[in-house]
Amino acid sequence: MSLHQGPTGALQRPKRWLKPRQQEFLMLLPACVVVALFLLLPFLMSFPISLTNERLIPRPVKFVGLKNYIEVLTDPVFWQALWNVTRFTAMVVPVQCGFALAMALMINQKLPFRNFFRGALFLPAITSMTVVCVIWGTLFQFPTGPLNQIIGFVTFGMAGPVDWLGTESSSMPAIVLLSAWQAYGFQMVVYLAGLQSIPNDLYEAARLDGAKTWGRFRYVTWPGLRQTNIFVIIITTIQAFKLFTQINILTQGGPRDSTNTVVQYMYNVGFVGQKLGLASAVAVILFLIVLAISLLRNATS
Amino acid sequence: MSDNSLLPGESDKFPVIKFVSISVITLVIVSPLFLLVVASLKPDRFQILAEMGSFKAFWVSNPTVQNYLDILTFSGNQPFARYLLNSVFILVATLAGGMLFNSMAAFVLACGGIKGRTLVLTLMIGLYIVPQESIVLPLLNIMNKIGLTDTFAAQILPFWASPLYIFLLYQFFSQIPRDLYDAAVVDGASPFEIYWKVFIPVSLPALATVAILMGIESWNQYLWPLLVTQSNSAKPIAVGIAGFFGADSTYWNLAMAASVVMMAPVLGFYLMFQKWFVSSVISSGVKG
Repeated sequence: MSLHQGPTGALQRPKRWLKPRQQEFLMLLPACVVVALFLLLPFLMSFPISLTNERLIPRPVKFVGLKNYIEVLTDPVFWQALWNVTRFTAMVVPVQCGFALAMALMINQKLPFRNFFRGALFLPAITSMTVVCVIWGTLFQFPTGPLNQIIGFVTFGMAGPVDWLGTESSSMPAIVLLSAWQAYGFQMVVYLAGLQSIPNDLYEAARLDGAKTWGRFRYVTWPGLRQTNIFVIIITTIQAFKLFTQINILTQGGPRDSTNTVVQYMYNVGFVGQKLGLASAVAVILFLIVLAISLLRNATS
Repeated sequence: MSDNSLLPGESDKFPVIKFVSISVITLVIVSPLFLLVVASLKPDRFQILAEMGSFKAFWVSNPTVQNYLDILTFSGNQPFARYLLNSVFILVATLAGGMLFNSMAAFVLACGGIKGRTLVLTLMIGLYIVPQESIVLPLLNIMNKIGLTDTFAAQILPFWASPLYIFLLYQFFSQIPRDLYDAAVVDGASPFEIYWKVFIPVSLPALATVAILMGIESWNQYLWPLLVTQSNSAKPIAVGIAGFFGADSTYWNLAMAASVVMMAPVLGFYLMFQKWFVSSVISSGVKG
């Protein structure tokens, strides 16, 4: 082989040192090795490790069956963490997606400087979460941070300063606020793409039927965004369940576990506590949660 | 670009109200970033905190670049310049290897004739729902065993291939007309030549999209480097900044200057390639 012949049969090439299929194999190999070693292997390992008492420090490993799962599932802190991410999700999904849709609707209109607004509104989305934590850590400062000052000003000092991140009742809403601020730009541009894929004919028809702004939104835009909505909500939900960076930097799960999350719990057990087996059980549970949400997406679309 | 809110022959009833409200909202949304830049120019953390609650938060009467000089020259517990260099090195190395490996694999999966490529593709698609969070601890265990903890390699090698990017490029390569491939085969080109001389030059937008996603991902990594690095010699910038949050007092002035430095290159690229950034974000959404 290696004698490639054109349809004319006239072309003759010198012998190559590798056959095309061998070359393809070599081109595919590096990526496969990387994925196998650093993604597939740790993923597959998490299942057997979760059935052992393995620790990060090398020591004899013992099979312990489902003991880790029982330990995790009977730990009130784990349930608190799971409840917290559920709470976080229930708050952040409507806030973030709702705001993103509202902004998408606004900048999809005829506006002077529309591209400027679009570019500016996307800025938080390119801000790294670490930077977001620095910014919002200051905004939430107790007792003299800007947020407290604004609230004091608006209420004429009636509402006292709140320790946003340091009070159990306000810590999670505060995390919701900064998370939604950081991430809504993503949903906004996806909604924008969704809005622009709705055919103009439908709006024309609705107008002929006498539909006003609200009617057009209710009967054309909203149904037209069905697929976009499902997509955006599922993605946001999955991201919400993986909440970690902002928690780790700003609250470490506190105060009194009110912002603890599944990933922070896993980090505490597995990295701080060095209990790899136990943490792997949490990892498997996290994977199953994400898998379930992904399957939900397939079922609805 | 279609404009669904207003139809031909229809007049906008509230143009001024709309314009004012979007302006106010945009101002509120962007103000925290503005505040960050202003605060980073204030001389110390006490002034930052003291002026936080008033309009002085948005103004600095005595601007100084001292915080920037401090973080970039300080070499004690928080050698920020070192973190910055680490991040840049990790970014460049990740991009170099990652772009090559991902695009080569995607090319073979899309156009190659090798046996088992559908199996590999299915496996890749299946793997991209595995969240990074659920594999990091076993991965840390692997790195422990092969002695790669606290190295650059541990922060680069795992990101040289990713099912998401392979899939994005695979989708793009699949849309390139088959004739182009066949014509190159007729000319006697080998698979690598077709990939390098035919497919890569026509795929620059897709490659740019993936490069942006990969770059942002690498630059913002937090959980993995937090686990796998211990010493300052390997820590990236995100983990370094988190170190400014102290148990007793946070060095807001340094944290803010560091944040501006971390954000500046991203912002620069964003301003230059805004369209590609936005399309990158949309295409990353296929990850479920």
